[in-house]
Amino acid sequence: MSGSLYVGVDVGSSATKCVLLDGAGRLVGRHVVPSGFDFGQSAEAALDKALLEAGADRSAIVHGVATGYGRERVTVATQRVTEITCHARGAREWYPQVRSIIDIGGQDTKVIHVGADGRMADYRMNAKCAAGTGTFLESVALKLGISLAEIDALAMQCTTDTILNSYCTVFAGTEVIERIKAGQRREDISMGLFRSIASRVVEMLASRDGPVGVTGGVVAHCRAMVRALEEALQTEVLRPPLPQHAGAYGAALIALNRATAHRAPQAVVPTRCET
Amino acid sequence: MVTMAVKRVEIQAAQRLRTLLREYFLDLDAASRDPGRRVAWCSSAGPCELLTALGFEVYFPENHGAMLGSKKVSAKYIPRAVGAGYSPEACSYMNSDIGAALCGYSPLQEAYGVAGPPRPDLLVYSTNQCREVQEWWNFFGRRHGAVVLGVRPPLHLGEVAAEHLRFVRGQLAELIERIEARFGLKMDEDRLREVVDLSSRASTLWRQVLDTARAHPSPLTFFDGLIHMAPVILRRGSQTAVDYYEALLAEMQARVADGVGAVPHERHRLYWDGMPVWPRVRDLSEKFFDLHAVIAASTYCNSWAFDPYDGGDPLLWMARTETEVFINRDEEVKEHFLMEMFQRFDIHGAIFHNARTCPNNTNSRFGMAQRLRQRLDTPILVIDGDLSDARFFSTAQTLTNIEAFIEQLEERLR
Repeated sequence: MSGSLYVGVDVGSSATKCVLLDGAGRLVGRHVVPSGFDFGQSAEAALDKALLEAGADRSAIVHGVATGYGRERVTVATQRVTEITCHARGAREWYPQVRSIIDIGGQDTKVIHVGADGRMADYRMNAKCAAGTGTFLESVALKLGISLAEIDALAMQCTTDTILNSYCTVFAGTEVIERIKAGQRREDISMGLFRSIASRVVEMLASRDGPVGVTGGVVAHCRAMVRALEEALQTEVLRPPLPQHAGAYGAALIALNRATAHRAPQAVVPTRCET
Repeated sequence: MVTMAVKRVEIQAAQRLRTLLREYFLDLDAASRDPGRRVAWCSSAGPCELLTALGFEVYFPENHGAMLGSKKVSAKYIPRAVGAGYSPEACSYMNSDIGAALCGYSPLQEAYGVAGPPRPDLLVYSTNQCREVQEWWNFFGRRHGAVVLGVRPPLHLGEVAAEHLRFVRGQLAELIERIEARFGLKMDEDRLREVVDLSSRASTLWRQVLDTARAHPSPLTFFDGLIHMAPVILRRGSQTAVDYYEALLAEMQARVADGVGAVPHERHRLYWDGMPVWPRVRDLSEKFFDLHAVIAASTYCNSWAFDPYDGGDPLLWMARTETEVFINRDEEVKEHFLMEMFQRFDIHGAIFHNARTCPNNTNSRFGMAQRLRQRLDTPILVIDGDLSDARFFSTAQTLTNIEAFIEQLEERLR
């Protein structure tokens, strides 16, 4: 393949995602790898695989935008933008009508509100706590000795309105054990975990105006998360085709916009503090 | 992208401040070892003027708590206090100070070569800021066998009425009587007027210093304020503090005249509400600097900007400062104050610090951030953290939060 490419790399706490767009904004390559210990290396690995899918090499890259917690480690990036802006940008491209975007990641959860003009109007991140994040699910799955996919499959067979009441991940693990001891079905307990996350997300919603989109690794892998959110919000939520890649997709769109935007770039030179 | 390194413009008065602090702590240490001198511990918004007028050298434990936080050692000493029965969710200033004392550590050792805080003859608190100071003081009162006395103004007031002031003035008069009786002293009314006048003058000058940040670009930031507020607390009621702020004000006014900003290419003007995150002040300061964002005003630094003394009853002025202080007011008064500050300093966005162990100095717990956001159409970011216990603060998450907030402000400029 020839022509210009625009890269978005999202280095999250659990997974590193890469998306490649061509000059027309078409998604021509993508890949996801575990973030592991070396964020720079995982970014390179995800990029190489995405380039392979696109049938291109690095010389085609015009601009790259990095996002996520490991964004500073991405050498291909010419710009760094937070995952909040990138997820909002990616979700809006798929669903221009969304007004609220819920991103449930491994380390944190964000709720982003977008104005009618498409600009980010407000956002919230979860408190410094695993409750309401993918880590919460992973922690309980580890304790039960089953995979995230198994918890999801069990939860989808839930027949009750069970919800875990504990805020704290450690206490939730204890509560799961107590419920097992009490003879509750594991299908219902599993769904209770997703409902617990959904209840934390609802707390972060400042406004419920307009359609809601969901992004992030948890909704990519767990149908039960989408179901729990729909129950909690009492409305259908929009799950894009590649929820886990929404941040990287948004980053790639920002890279593409940078090349094509008519607007002048920010008028100031970025600086680094020297004390 | 080319990144340009820019140096901070140092505030010249900082050198003078270092000397002032050194002399203050060395003198406190000397006083604590001199049988002819007395030391009183006082809460930061407490009635220190009457202690000075009675001849006590005044030490402020909260400053020590902040030093432990800045030195990033609080998490090391808090567990010792928790082990002694103090809740890990209670004030981290208190817990770290108690824990450090139990371990025999003080940052004053490295900084000034003194053994630690001066031994108190008397401890005086005011609950105008929180309940914790009372128990904090009681711990050290028991430890040193020293008397602990307190002032308890009516809490969380809307309008401050004359009866409130009479009530607090009565407590201050009674406090003087108890100290006089205990230590065989007699208050010199002229000396009290003199100390109150000096306190008021330093406070007025401090307010004028903070007001220079109304200029564009702002000559100082919240982070500068955290350093230069020391004399208005520690040396309140002295000529030294007045002289210091006269010099600092002149320097800030010169900066304004010369168009010198504390942050290069100032682009966003922010407000900080709540306590500083002492263990992460440097990280935060550098992040805002890099993002061309100046924190031009704060509730915290303004906490010691009192109304001027008019030469009348000094105890009534003290009662007023005790009672009217921001932290002791109701939500409506606080909200009105913040709205005025946002307007006065041309604020583009505000950051509320939800300090885990300081609910009294956290204003995001009862919907205020949401209300201000809607009333003023001003973006507001609430960050989770703590004044001193770094374990409650996630640097990566908070710095991302701040960057996203600046991205939000950038979008509003387009």
